[in-house]
Amino acid sequence: MKTLLLALSSLVATTLFAADSPPVGAAAPDFSLPDASGKSHSLSEYKGKYVVLEWFNPECPFVKKHYGSGNMQKLQGEFTGKGVVWLTIDSNAPGYEGNLSPKEAQKVMKDWKTKQTALLLDPDGKAGRVYNARNTPHMFVINPEGKIIYEGAIDSIASPNPADIPSSTNYVKVALDESMSGKPVSNANTRPYGCSVKYK
Amino acid sequence: MSAIRRSAFFLWLSMLMAMRAQGQIYQGKQLVQADALANVSAVVPGEPFLVGVRLKMQPHWHTYWKYPGDAGIPTDIKWELPEGWRAGSIQWPIPLKLQEPGDIQIYGYHDEVLLIQKIAPAKNFTSPTVKLSAKVNWLVCEKICIPGDTVVTLSLPSAPTNSPANTDLFARFQKQLPGSPGTNFSASWKSDATGLVLNVTQPELAKFPSVEFFPSPPENVAVGHPRLESHEGGAYTFRIPLDNAKQDFKSLPGLIVFGNATDAPDRSAWDVSVGSEKATANENSTSRDVVRFLVFGFIGGFILNLMPCVLPVISLKIFGFVQQAGQSRGRIFRSGLAFIAGIFVWFLGLALVLVIIKSAGGQPVWAAQFTNPYFVLFMSAVVLVFALNLFGVFEINLPQWLSRRAVAAEGSMHGDAGSFFQGVFATVLATPCTAPFLGTALGFAFTQSAIVILLMFGSIALGMSAPYFLLSAQPAWLKFLPKPGPWMVRVKQLMGFLLIATLLFLLSVLGAQRGVASLIWTCAFLLVLSIACWMKGAFLTPLISAKTRGLVLVLMLVLVIGGGIYFIGDKFQRAAAVATPTASGGGWEKFTPERLASELQQGHAVFIDFTAEWCITCRFNESTVLETAAVQAAFSERQIVKLKADWTNGDPAITKLLKQFGRPGVPLYVLYPGRTAQPYVFPELLTKNIVLEKLETVNRTIASQ
Repeated sequence: MKTLLLALSSLVATTLFAADSPPVGAAAPDFSLPDASGKSHSLSEYKGKYVVLEWFNPECPFVKKHYGSGNMQKLQGEFTGKGVVWLTIDSNAPGYEGNLSPKEAQKVMKDWKTKQTALLLDPDGKAGRVYNARNTPHMFVINPEGKIIYEGAIDSIASPNPADIPSSTNYVKVALDESMSGKPVSNANTRPYGCSVKYK
Repeated sequence: MSAIRRSAFFLWLSMLMAMRAQGQIYQGKQLVQADALANVSAVVPGEPFLVGVRLKMQPHWHTYWKYPGDAGIPTDIKWELPEGWRAGSIQWPIPLKLQEPGDIQIYGYHDEVLLIQKIAPAKNFTSPTVKLSAKVNWLVCEKICIPGDTVVTLSLPSAPTNSPANTDLFARFQKQLPGSPGTNFSASWKSDATGLVLNVTQPELAKFPSVEFFPSPPENVAVGHPRLESHEGGAYTFRIPLDNAKQDFKSLPGLIVFGNATDAPDRSAWDVSVGSEKATANENSTSRDVVRFLVFGFIGGFILNLMPCVLPVISLKIFGFVQQAGQSRGRIFRSGLAFIAGIFVWFLGLALVLVIIKSAGGQPVWAAQFTNPYFVLFMSAVVLVFALNLFGVFEINLPQWLSRRAVAAEGSMHGDAGSFFQGVFATVLATPCTAPFLGTALGFAFTQSAIVILLMFGSIALGMSAPYFLLSAQPAWLKFLPKPGPWMVRVKQLMGFLLIATLLFLLSVLGAQRGVASLIWTCAFLLVLSIACWMKGAFLTPLISAKTRGLVLVLMLVLVIGGGIYFIGDKFQRAAAVATPTASGGGWEKFTPERLASELQQGHAVFIDFTAEWCITCRFNESTVLETAAVQAAFSERQIVKLKADWTNGDPAITKLLKQFGRPGVPLYVLYPGRTAQPYVFPELLTKNIVLEKLETVNRTIASQ
């Protein structure tokens, strides 16, 4: 009964509030985007694996907080090492802060020593709008069944200050660790923080 | 904008720069200038004053409100204060609602904002000048976002007196602070699968083309964009989607912002947080009450078993089960359970009837029935009649056809269905003994919500069936059962005195509502009623002739109806008209919405005591806190207007205000510190310290506004 209610309410939620993110527990909408080297990635090809979506803007101080401190790279390295697919998505529109050409994207990846599976370019904001990604960073975790199991902030302290990282709880790590050990995700939905995604 | 398009080296560099939070200079411009100002020329020891951190932003750049919306971070201010000083929370002016592409909605400020905080200096300090400093962190955004921080300082001399300073600036931003809605404002929340629905009503809202809700959810809670769903005149309905709602929020703090246009400079706003927070707090306290009800219900149900017409039934029933089941433990237990199910069905059926009757009467307010003197009068009569029954003045007989049928049914039924109906009938047959309690419980339950009624009767059933449950599981324990005997009659009579005590309470309520005269007439009616009961016990025995029976019945009816018409319909009614409740005494004045509005208009601070004669907590608070010399002295010293809102008779104006604060009933204590400041709601149980501490802040607030 409870599951039925949940299913019904998520159905209503998705139809009535298309402007909101697809709810936790719902199937993750598919997308297909080119990466920095032009190779196309679609979400459906990673079915059967955990997938992390990370909305990205190299100019945003909140993104810099996690890359400048090496926090994001460490997280990417840890989980891609465990077979997780990590897709970083840049949905910023051309002419706006954070928009990357394939070349610039490759440069950022190299200079920042990033460890994601791919940095995807979404200049017309297609994927960003489907997920209603509002912030950079805005994080989604998708389980092997293709269901969203986490949506929200990267961690518990909403600030641009890297000094806050050690004392904060990383929600993405907690969600992945819990789900991988067969437990339900204790904190599946948080308020994302950061810069707004610069849509056209 | 195009800076990104340069080399990765630049990216790296700018990243490093941001790490050190020096991003205030962007393309040669100082994006945010911050300074601190006070609204006084000097600090007077012990006298609170206001400080403001002013942020001046470049055109088109914005900083954020306490709830930034879909992106951003609120400005953060940390004051470094001398020992013993305290800083209040930030008073946020009404923000602008800004839209960015991609349906991103944020709340913030353009151009200039003053974030005001109250500073309470220590009572004694000696330094001739005080230097206060605050660390300010902000995020400023246009197309891009840049965090900034600085330390602002403020030096003030200390002096025995001071004069206002920076009055224009403070006045300009204080005008933009959300105020408290007028007394004819009401807000209510509903939640469904997708989020929350907020209904607000205030006739004044009809005048404004733009009415919006700005949410300010607790930290780390994501909410969707509030949408105006419908409006008609001054009534507005907003829907606030809760993102991926697993949160069990019943309401959200936030602002109702209204004006001639979205973001018009002359906008005003009301804070709807006060009521919403309280609504949840109150729910907690009622859930505590409910647990207490359930415990009493269980005990009450259990005690029912000691009644003369119930106790003998227990051993009979269990023996019956044992015989029927031929000693099979499992079957005995099953019969017992079926019997218990019967008991439950009867009680829950009663509860259901009550719920239906009640729901036909419309939306109840907790304990509101007690504001109606006729309800109290009715309850008094019911309680007295049942007490007389327990004393043995008369017996309650079931209609003959009913008891005959019940007995017949009991004899003829076997098996689990049989045991089930036996459970129903045994409870029905026990009515003569249980009615006094059930009737009283029913009466009181009438004031409760449907769920509480069902739970309460469920727990009575549970209490009553507990012995059956234990004994059918373990028939050997029958030997522990007390032997029926005359002691049971004594128990019954003792219970009668309990009901008389209840009657005393009801009469004290009635006396407070309607005065001594009406109390006398009520007692006169109760006397007549008692005589009628006595007549029933004395003369309506099975042996009397039909003629005498008819005569007695007519006499009884004449007594009750005649007494009712004369004492209640006439005397009681008139006594009521004379005795209006007195709210004054001890400097308390009668509350009216107009009075409150005019006092606030004149800039007076107002304390309202929402009370009622029948509210024991209210009386306790009044005698131990509000009427004490210390608190009274504080009231008069601060010249706080004391209003008493007496809800004893359910004044609708008071009911409305109670609802506005999200309270279903009294007590409620509210302090309006001044015209624009937020009303402060005290906890239900007052202590002198809580009240004195709050009152202490009052006059200064007014002086500084």
